[in-house]
Amino acid sequence: MKVKGNHVILSFVLIITGFIVALSYQFANEGQNSQVITERQWNKEDELRNQVLFEQSLNRNLSEELRAIQAEINTIEEEIAYQERAYFNLVEDLDKLRMVTGSVGVKGPGIEVTLSDADYVPDGENPNFYIVHEGHIQKVIHELLVTQAEAIAINGQRISHQSYIQCVGPVIRIDGNTSFAPFVITAIGDPDKLHDSLHLPGGVRDQLLSDQVEVKIEKKELIIMDPFLSERG
Amino acid sequence: MWLPFVGLVIGLLLGFWTEFRIPEIYSNYLSIAVLAALDTLFGGIRAHLQNTFEEKVFVTGFFSNILLAAGLAFLGVHLGVDLYLAAIFAFGVRLFNNIAVIRRILLSKWTAKQDRQTEN
Repeated sequence: MKVKGNHVILSFVLIITGFIVALSYQFANEGQNSQVITERQWNKEDELRNQVLFEQSLNRNLSEELRAIQAEINTIEEEIAYQERAYFNLVEDLDKLRMVTGSVGVKGPGIEVTLSDADYVPDGENPNFYIVHEGHIQKVIHELLVTQAEAIAINGQRISHQSYIQCVGPVIRIDGNTSFAPFVITAIGDPDKLHDSLHLPGGVRDQLLSDQVEVKIEKKELIIMDPFLSERG
Repeated sequence: MWLPFVGLVIGLLLGFWTEFRIPEIYSNYLSIAVLAALDTLFGGIRAHLQNTFEEKVFVTGFFSNILLAAGLAFLGVHLGVDLYLAAIFAFGVRLFNNIAVIRRILLSKWTAKQDRQTEN
């Protein structure tokens, strides 16, 4: 079929008509939608609003719950912090106590007391009277403990609160470890105090001297003690 | 005969798919323009059926009717008189007239055709 001029014009006119019709149709639809609110729409809106209110109240409840939980967490955290502080203190105490009981090595200023057997034993005398006995050592140790020595060792063997000193002939046994003269008793504490307490007139030093024991006392800037190990050696 | 209908479909699709917007206050003009366009179209169909169709008259009538209707509505809005009612009235009456004439012509053609068939 041949395309005639009037057909082109007609189709052009129809394009414009269709365009206008479609446009106005759309327009009418939109106007209807925006202006007329039907019962159903009201109902829907009502429903949605109720839903929103419901959700809001739900949210409120949840946020209250959250607040409560947060408060709980706070208290728990405080408790934990307190406990941690307590633990810290306990650990510190433990450290100190370990130092006292001798299960860890300690170092510090202190005093060194050396007890040696008498060099000279007159003829006919009992040599037993001229050697160092465990009693002498115990005296020194007691004196040192009384003067607040913090740690004591004999010939490097740490003394704990349950140590024992035993006299076995010319040697002594400390917690089962044998020691020979001369006995070096090291004590950590205030050196001046320890020194003075040993030098009291009629005190430990004088008593030891009168028992024919050679006593040498010197202050030390730094004494390092190994931990107490009963199974040592 | 198919080209005008293709044009109509294209126009409808364009109207639906393009995001072309006119302000809401001009929607009255648009409806009157629609009425004018339909009136002219049916007038053209009638003229075609009566064999008095003239392209120039049809095309100029189409555009001038649309513009006149829109202009009348515009004037009416600004004068405070509902002049677009006049346009709607006039176009509506002519639309019905045209449709009635088309119907009658088609009917008479149909009956004539049937008569011829029965004669044969």
